[in-house]
Amino acid sequence: MSFNETDVQTALKNLIDPNTKKDYVSGKSVKNIKISGSDISLDILLGYPAKSVWDEIRSMIEAHLKAALPGVSKINVNVSSKVVPHAVQRGVKLVEGVKNIIAVASGKGGVGKSTTAVNLALALSAEGARVGVLDADIYGPSQPTMLGISGQPKSVDGKSLEPMSNHGLQAMSIGFMIDGEDTPMVWRGPMVTQALDQLLHQTRWDNLDYLVVDLPPGTGDIQLTLAQKVPVTGAVIVTTPQDIALMDARKGLKMFEKVGIKIVGIVENMSTHICSKCGHEEHIFGAGGGAKMCEDYKVEFLGSLPLDISIREQADSGNPTVVADPNGKIAREYKQIARRIAVKVADMAQDHSAAFPKIVVQNT
Amino acid sequence: MSEQPTEIKLHQQSRLLEITFDDGFSYQLPYEFLRVYSPSADVSGHGPGQEVLQVGKKEVGVSELIPVGSYAVQINFDDGHDTGLFTWEYLCKLGKNQTAMWQDYLDRLASAGANRESRPGAKK
Repeated sequence: MSFNETDVQTALKNLIDPNTKKDYVSGKSVKNIKISGSDISLDILLGYPAKSVWDEIRSMIEAHLKAALPGVSKINVNVSSKVVPHAVQRGVKLVEGVKNIIAVASGKGGVGKSTTAVNLALALSAEGARVGVLDADIYGPSQPTMLGISGQPKSVDGKSLEPMSNHGLQAMSIGFMIDGEDTPMVWRGPMVTQALDQLLHQTRWDNLDYLVVDLPPGTGDIQLTLAQKVPVTGAVIVTTPQDIALMDARKGLKMFEKVGIKIVGIVENMSTHICSKCGHEEHIFGAGGGAKMCEDYKVEFLGSLPLDISIREQADSGNPTVVADPNGKIAREYKQIARRIAVKVADMAQDHSAAFPKIVVQNT
Repeated sequence: MSEQPTEIKLHQQSRLLEITFDDGFSYQLPYEFLRVYSPSADVSGHGPGQEVLQVGKKEVGVSELIPVGSYAVQINFDDGHDTGLFTWEYLCKLGKNQTAMWQDYLDRLASAGANRESRPGAKK
């Protein structure tokens, strides 16, 4: 029995991508279908990084086509990923060298924003993306410690800064530029916002698929500057399940809505505590808070992470969980969350409906 | 109105800002109107009753439009005023209430004994 390109497309229309929940044809991932005799070859181009599951996806598609098209002999499926830049403002340049900007925020402090941000950045990188981290917490930078980077950034031209790097990530933080770990930044608002602007625009980011911005807690100067000066693709809100943290997280979410930044979703951190002695699991900060917030505001629940001593120890030592224990349960959860974020970002990048209006100047 | 504009056109000769929203509605807002109703605290003050009446702005021009995130535009006027961030919501409100708001401005000018024309030789 012979088949043609349309048959292959029809078959793939019935196969749902487990990461995007859309079929491969509607997701525009199927390219280059070639049929020669009873052999098929095609490319699958995913809009999100997924190196750790490319093989799984390839096997799944091959098995599906074998079942759907009797008589087929050789099937050659090539799976790869390509991250699309965010088309956010027509005629306005994105940050040079950066395709998508993901802000990681919370309303409250101490919920694990920086730790989550750095692990998500590493997870995206582990999946094959080029990732950078911008530490936007001018008063309390933590990325240099968490990434195990010391030293000062160099400047090639006297104007821009070269990003520091470790674990395959590019990074910039005010922490790299101050002498002494305990030097406070005793700055008023305008200086802080100026510093953020420079860290963002004057760093020579090198062809990043994602720039993860680790924001300080709250809804003030730094958040506003980011919203006004920069085309943020989306924001991830980190919260613990506890009522008090949730109230502040809700304010954080509403703030982003006010300034037109889309919410990628919510990550519930410190969901459970597992006793290192007896293994007893407890919802130490309450249960279901993150999921309820998602329901209330119709945003996606990206995943939850436990309160585990290893996460803290690993970040403190400059080797966050995703690199210290890449095949462990917690790293796999970070990677799963990172994949969900990448999929959502891919959707947002293609959504032009909220793009900035076209500006035209005429002599009429 | 869903308040998401698709296009903003500056007519530099007629000194009009034309804004088209994604539901098809469009408004023509004179530069002077925008200038005297700038949402900047320099013009609207920090609360009701603190507005500062802007006078002599009949010939004001717009030198630049700067995007602010994806929710507003900063209008740089050629008299140096550049601190007004006009959100889509605000521009829509100006469009819908233009007639009433413009009349209100003219009334306030009259009671202050001021006028729209800038004095010759005075800083614009």
